[in-house]
Amino acid sequence: MATPLPSHATDRKRFETGVWTLWTDRLMTVVIKFGGAMVITAVFGIFLFILFQVFPLFLAARVTELKSVPLPDAKFTILGVDEWGAKPFLVKPDGKMLFVDFATGKESAVPVDFGDSAPHEITAAAINKREQKIAVGTADGKYALVSPDYKSVAVDGVPSVSASPSASAFKDIGVPGAKVLDIAYGDSGAQKLVVVLQEMDGKKSVSALQLKRKHSLLGKGADEIAGTFDLTALIPGRPDNILVPSTGDGVVATTEDGTVTYLGLDPEGKFQPLQSFRPFGDLGDARIAVADFLFGDVSLIFGAVGGENRVFSLFYPKGGSVRLFGQTHEFPKLACRPTYLVTTLRNKAFLIGGRNEASLRYATTEAIRWQADLPFTATNAVISGKYARILFLDDERRLHFFALDDPHPDSGWKALFGKIWYEGASEKKWEWQSTGGSDDFEPKYSLIPLIFGTMKGTLYAMIFAVPIALLAALYTSQFLDPRLRGIVKPTMEIMASLPSVVLGFLAAIYIAPLIERQIPSLLLVTVGLPIAAAAFGWFWSELPIQLRKFIRPGTEWLVFIPILLGLGWILWSLGPAFESVAFVTTDPGTGKKVADFRYWWPAVTGASFDQRNSLVVGFMMGFAVIPIIFTIAEDALSNVPGALKTASMACGASRWQTAMRIVVPTASAGIFSGLMIGLGRAVGETMIVVMATGNTPIMEWNIFSGMRTLSANIAVELPEAPHASTLYRTLFLGALLLFLLTFAINTLAEILRQHLREKYKTV
Amino acid sequence: MNEPAPGKPDYIKIQDFSFHYGSKQALFDIRMDIPEREVTAFIGPSGCGKSTLLRNLNRMNDLIEDTRSEGDIFVNGQSIYDPHIEVISLRKRIGMVFQKSNPFPKSIYENIVYPLRVAGQNSRAVLDETVERSLKGAALWDEAKDRLHESALSMSGGQMQRLCIARAIANRPEILLMDEPCSALDPIATVKVEELIHELKKEFTIVIVTHNMQQATRCSDKTGFFYLGKLIEFSDTQKIFSNPAKKQTEDYITGRFG
Ligand SMILES: Nc1ncnc2c1ncn2[C@@H]1O[C@H](COP(=O)(O)OP(=O)(O)OP(=O)(O)O)[C@@H](O)[C@H]1O
Ligand SMILES: [Mg+2]
Repeated sequence: MATPLPSHATDRKRFETGVWTLWTDRLMTVVIKFGGAMVITAVFGIFLFILFQVFPLFLAARVTELKSVPLPDAKFTILGVDEWGAKPFLVKPDGKMLFVDFATGKESAVPVDFGDSAPHEITAAAINKREQKIAVGTADGKYALVSPDYKSVAVDGVPSVSASPSASAFKDIGVPGAKVLDIAYGDSGAQKLVVVLQEMDGKKSVSALQLKRKHSLLGKGADEIAGTFDLTALIPGRPDNILVPSTGDGVVATTEDGTVTYLGLDPEGKFQPLQSFRPFGDLGDARIAVADFLFGDVSLIFGAVGGENRVFSLFYPKGGSVRLFGQTHEFPKLACRPTYLVTTLRNKAFLIGGRNEASLRYATTEAIRWQADLPFTATNAVISGKYARILFLDDERRLHFFALDDPHPDSGWKALFGKIWYEGASEKKWEWQSTGGSDDFEPKYSLIPLIFGTMKGTLYAMIFAVPIALLAALYTSQFLDPRLRGIVKPTMEIMASLPSVVLGFLAAIYIAPLIERQIPSLLLVTVGLPIAAAAFGWFWSELPIQLRKFIRPGTEWLVFIPILLGLGWILWSLGPAFESVAFVTTDPGTGKKVADFRYWWPAVTGASFDQRNSLVVGFMMGFAVIPIIFTIAEDALSNVPGALKTASMACGASRWQTAMRIVVPTASAGIFSGLMIGLGRAVGETMIVVMATGNTPIMEWNIFSGMRTLSANIAVELPEAPHASTLYRTLFLGALLLFLLTFAINTLAEILRQHLREKYKTV
Repeated sequence: MNEPAPGKPDYIKIQDFSFHYGSKQALFDIRMDIPEREVTAFIGPSGCGKSTLLRNLNRMNDLIEDTRSEGDIFVNGQSIYDPHIEVISLRKRIGMVFQKSNPFPKSIYENIVYPLRVAGQNSRAVLDETVERSLKGAALWDEAKDRLHESALSMSGGQMQRLCIARAIANRPEILLMDEPCSALDPIATVKVEELIHELKKEFTIVIVTHNMQQATRCSDKTGFFYLGKLIEFSDTQKIFSNPAKKQTEDYITGRFG
């Protein structure tokens, strides 16, 4: 009686899975897996690339022996080298210069023409590296200046270095006929100073000779003696080493008992004792074995007889008004008594050593770039001008050429993250300053101010954005009329895609000047509006229901917004009046009483006031972050099951109670995600910070000063950074930090989010 | 203890009440008087508007967008749409158990005391007492007493429903609205809930929606039969089930429907 079933209802095939279904399923599985793997590979690839760029920053120097050349049996008073380390020279007592050619390994003795037929025994010599001039002193109390005159010429395409030394004539200096034990030469171009340490009958004396270049009509002028000084009386004790800074306006003498005397030329052209100190006064044996100026000539390196090694720099002590030497760095002790100390013209590195111990150190970062026990006993050493070769002279008169590979001597953990006592500073600091005006400027690569700036910018942005975004999301999802919600939500989403360069532009051109003039108004509005809003809410709830019922729930803003706008306008216009009452101070320029917040703030708090400050950044970055937090939080809040809200309302909870006790906790995982994504955006935000702050890498929380963030730093400096330089790699390190920071934030956020989701999961 | 005074026969008075979801009318001119301290059952085929009417009694339908009502409902002589009445206090007087259980993502304890907490009651002793009494009332005490601070979501479906009953009676409302409270319960729990209803009706006015005819006969005093948004018949339960006045009612009760 039952109607026969159609064949498709009885066919066994109806239980089979279609071929296409299976194929599509398999194909999509593969495609999705491949896609996932590609994403992971790409992210990992970026990470590896950055890591690869960054890691040379943390490498130590590599020093390898290239060759050694035996030298003729003679006494040498000095070892010098050209920029390339290809043709070092030694000065022999007879006044001949011995040049050693690296490529051929041959040495050649070149007589220097001092324009004086009488032989003089050279007993002291000093190189002024900056001027490439050698000052030599003789056993009979004379001095001369020699230039090696290096030239780099290309011979058959291979660069080779040639030298054609020339010299000035021997002239008398200091005590006539007294043997010169040590000589020093400073030359600032306009002012030259030759200082000699002489000995006569066991009595030591120090004399200085000031030269001035007189320009003649024939172009190159001749040096004329501008003054002679006997400095012996100014130096307490028996001097054994003298140094002159390249500025030629001071003398540093060390004495046999380990005292350092610093003399300066005063404006009247007289030497005055400025300072006398004992670098190793706290040690049992305070004697100084080696001493020299560090590149830049504002720091002195000392090696004690016991192997201790300290650096003293000129700086204004706290509260002081005279630049004096103070200890800024201490290095690990050498095992032996140091016998040589050489510096370079490239950076703040120096090589100190004695016997077979040699240590290449970087003064600024207190880092040991390289240290080794040499297979020979070095008596002298030199670093090439390009910081690419180290040459050692051993006690068997062999000259050893070493290749020095140390592209980032000024880098390392300490330089990047540690507090460092930079030259000229009166304390240890974290500082970022990648470029400076002068040649001997030392770049400061501390990332701490940038990390600080990133945190500061993020903090101010979040302080501004989080309350607004979250309250707006709560209001929109729980209280606003649903039809309006349909307008507000997409509008905010469009705002989220506003290019930040537009926001930054607005901030710099419009907001910053506006805010600068209207801080008191802004203060009034920031404090007044929330209070007014809360008061309005209370007042509304107290209104009799007969009045309230005319306004449908969800449209209260129709009343609320005009009132608040009106109030905001009133508060804003009250700003100037408020300023004239509350922010009166004396104008530092004119000394008159003025009502100006821009002067009042620095006067009262001591902190600075910049036009492009954190307030502007926080405000504008807040605008970039608000839509993100808002959208995600609003989604989370709206997705709370209606059944929960209904249940809460049925229990007699008000809308606010329902929102705060049920909706917000249930949506907390989503809200948290929104906060974290907003935070990530704020941390990585670049253009707004670049444009709206002065990009000053300072470390202070002052809301009226600027900042420099990691991302802005990359944007600002990368175009100027030479490829593979320390700066370049440090910028990549900044990128890596950002990468890790975001990674850490996201991981933490995910863990917390999972926890919250577990806790408030709904059925 | 004195026998309570006989309840008002028109404690809840529904007057020509119509209700629209947007353009769709769900209730048509409902007129019924629900007596005080008695159990009134709503029966009828699915989609006929039982839940809709129930939800209107404590104005839960206000929360649904784009709805409209005509007519009036009086509770104890006062219109629930009276602007003097705060809808929140109305809901505090009327407890509700929903068709689908909806515990909060909180602990069992916090679920039950929620109505007290939102009313500002935070005294530990009061809350503890309420939890125990309500759980016992909802026949859940034995199962839940050792896990009061575990998440309510770790319970079974039937337990959750009883938890919702416990929550609804926690603040001792005057009226209890129950929308198919037993649909997810096993027979034993069902019996317990029915006993609870018997117990509660001494003090509360109870309105219960059910698809279970036996349940309606067992525990209700009055029964209303709804069909397509209209109240077809409303009288004593005994009369409806033994001698219905309308053909439709009889068809539905005897299962000859649809
Ligand atoms: N939120 C809503 N929006 C629109 N229409 C609704 C809504 N809730 C219910 N309805 C409609 O109103 C009518 C009555 O629904 P109601 O939920 O009251 O039925 P019911 O009698 O409780 O059915 P059941 O026994 O299946 O629970 C149905 O046709 C339904 O489609
Ligand atoms: Mg229903």
